Amino acid sequence: MQFRLEKRPEPSKLMLYVTPVASVLLTMLVGAIIFSLIGYDGVGAVREIFLTPLTNSFKWQDLGVKAAPLIIIGVGLSIAYRANVWNIGAEGQYVMGGLAATGVALATYGMTGWWILPLMMIAGIAGGAAYAAVPALLKTRLGVNEILTSLMLTYASVQLIYYLVRAPWKDPMGMGFPQTRRFAADALLPNIIPGTIVHLGVPIAIVVALIAWFVMSRSVFGYQMKVVGAAPHAARYGGFSENKTIWLALLVSGALAGLAGMLEVAGPFQRMVPGFPTNYGFTAIIVAFLGRLNPLGVILAGIVMAITFVGGEVAQTTIGLSSSATGVFQSMMLFFLLAGDILVRYRLKRVIPAQEARA
Amino acid sequence: MNLDLLIAIFITVVGASTPILIAATGELVVEKSGVLNLGVEGMMLVGAITAFLVVFLTGQHYLAIVLAAGAGIATSMIFGFLTLSLSANQTATGLALTIFGTGFSALAGQGYSARPVTLLGPLFPAELATHPVLRILFGYSALVYFALIMVVAVWWFLKKTRAGLILRAVGENDLSAHSIGYSVIGVRYAAVAFGGAMAGIAGACFPLLLTPQWAERMTAGRGWIAVALVVFASWRPFRLLAGAYLFGLVMTMELYAKAGGGPLSAIPSELWAALPYLATVVVLVLISIRRDASTNAPACLGRPFLPSN
Repeated sequence: MQFRLEKRPEPSKLMLYVTPVASVLLTMLVGAIIFSLIGYDGVGAVREIFLTPLTNSFKWQDLGVKAAPLIIIGVGLSIAYRANVWNIGAEGQYVMGGLAATGVALATYGMTGWWILPLMMIAGIAGGAAYAAVPALLKTRLGVNEILTSLMLTYASVQLIYYLVRAPWKDPMGMGFPQTRRFAADALLPNIIPGTIVHLGVPIAIVVALIAWFVMSRSVFGYQMKVVGAAPHAARYGGFSENKTIWLALLVSGALAGLAGMLEVAGPFQRMVPGFPTNYGFTAIIVAFLGRLNPLGVILAGIVMAITFVGGEVAQTTIGLSSSATGVFQSMMLFFLLAGDILVRYRLKRVIPAQEARA
Repeated sequence: MNLDLLIAIFITVVGASTPILIAATGELVVEKSGVLNLGVEGMMLVGAITAFLVVFLTGQHYLAIVLAAGAGIATSMIFGFLTLSLSANQTATGLALTIFGTGFSALAGQGYSARPVTLLGPLFPAELATHPVLRILFGYSALVYFALIMVVAVWWFLKKTRAGLILRAVGENDLSAHSIGYSVIGVRYAAVAFGGAMAGIAGACFPLLLTPQWAERMTAGRGWIAVALVVFASWRPFRLLAGAYLFGLVMTMELYAKAGGGPLSAIPSELWAALPYLATVVVLVLISIRRDASTNAPACLGRPFLPSN
């Protein structure tokens, strides 16, 4: 029995939503098999990574805290990727947002007031957007590939943290540790559920995703992003400027990554440390794709990815699995998703040999 | 500055640029066939951990290089299957491959970090390899000569052979190549596999040539610099040489600045560490100002091939 691929007249809506779910399930199945084959407790690994974070209610707060930055960055990337603008330097924009917010927190140290947090937020957003403006400028003015520039700037931004926490921003009372001082109370995100670690960033993430969904599906801006991405020639004919789209895509995704950086440094971290870049910017790439470049899908995908992070930590303590296994599971999910894409555009058709012989 | 120091610096530059040169030579062939594989960094990490483990367990350096190439091919076939057989998005798949290689190598290398191995020794006999002046020619390990030979070989292959002509035809106009009977997908699979082998060997350079141990993410973005280098060279093999040695020089300055002393150490070491990446951006800007850069890109670069439509 043979199968042939036949192009669908229109992309399948059903497959568009089925394939992300299927790729998560396939990852669990294939992951269990592969990890068993290479000598780990495969079933245990999948149970701890994918199920324990859901069944153990103590872990729910961790899920929210991990999902928030992934959702915020993922929403921004989904907008950029819709427009075919490949910002993969979100990690660097996240770092610059965190650094800009840190700058405000340190400059206002000793002051009090409700205005400090909003100011840090503005600084974070501006920092991320400014760092994304570099690839935007180079792409629109000189046609330099934004993939390479945004990524190279990420490597450079990490060195900037190292420098700042080693020398000018180092905590004078830090006993030599390369880190800034702990932010003052008015520069820290408030907890929204007493007794947990859930901070203001969690509801912000949901609000950001909902606003983005509304804008992308209801506004001219959203329409422009989609048209330029899907049909650049038609977009030009319709009067949408390609350069303007590139600028908007990079600024919006950079701003959101910067916002995530501010929320992380003012929330979980409470100070700037060399370990601040935690790969949220790279994982958010998977989140954006798994969420089908749709802000509502990104919420779900962000939660799924947060489950694998929290579960990876669980598996590390309970069955001694390295936390890097999480990355293998996450990339496997993306592989299955990309492979499944063909089912969105094509359908499998059975080829009957007799017919083929006649033809 | 005395001659001894100059020779020492030159030798460090050549060593630092070798993995970038090997990876970029592989990626150049891949891109010439019309495929953009952004997974170089991931394939390099898989090659690096493979080479490290083989040397750690057997002490066989050449076996390590061969198996690293094999591991690179195996990794590249994930990319090949998704993008060529299933025509998945090449940009996204390449990114996924890098994320995969990072995670997989970290998992495989768990518990091995900071365990020492021995470096691959010089290829030529000690009288030549340690000669105060002649070592500038003979003082390197086989990987360095391999990199140079492959640059020439790839130039010769693309310019002078029939197979090279077919590969370029597939990259420039896939539909025409298909219509005169060449297997576009087959040629691209071969090119992707070659790129995988080269990236695997480039990864092997890290434990065998540069730092004799395993560290997570030890390739530190060099795979991405290799991708940038192909653009910089505007898809011409010999220009890769100039670019790779330029980056080698920048990275060597970092090493000397960190070692302390001299005017270089006045600048924060973090700036030196960031310099190769910033230099990549600058180089990409300079190259885009020159006119022939983008026009020389293979016409089908990054476009999936769908013959039936």
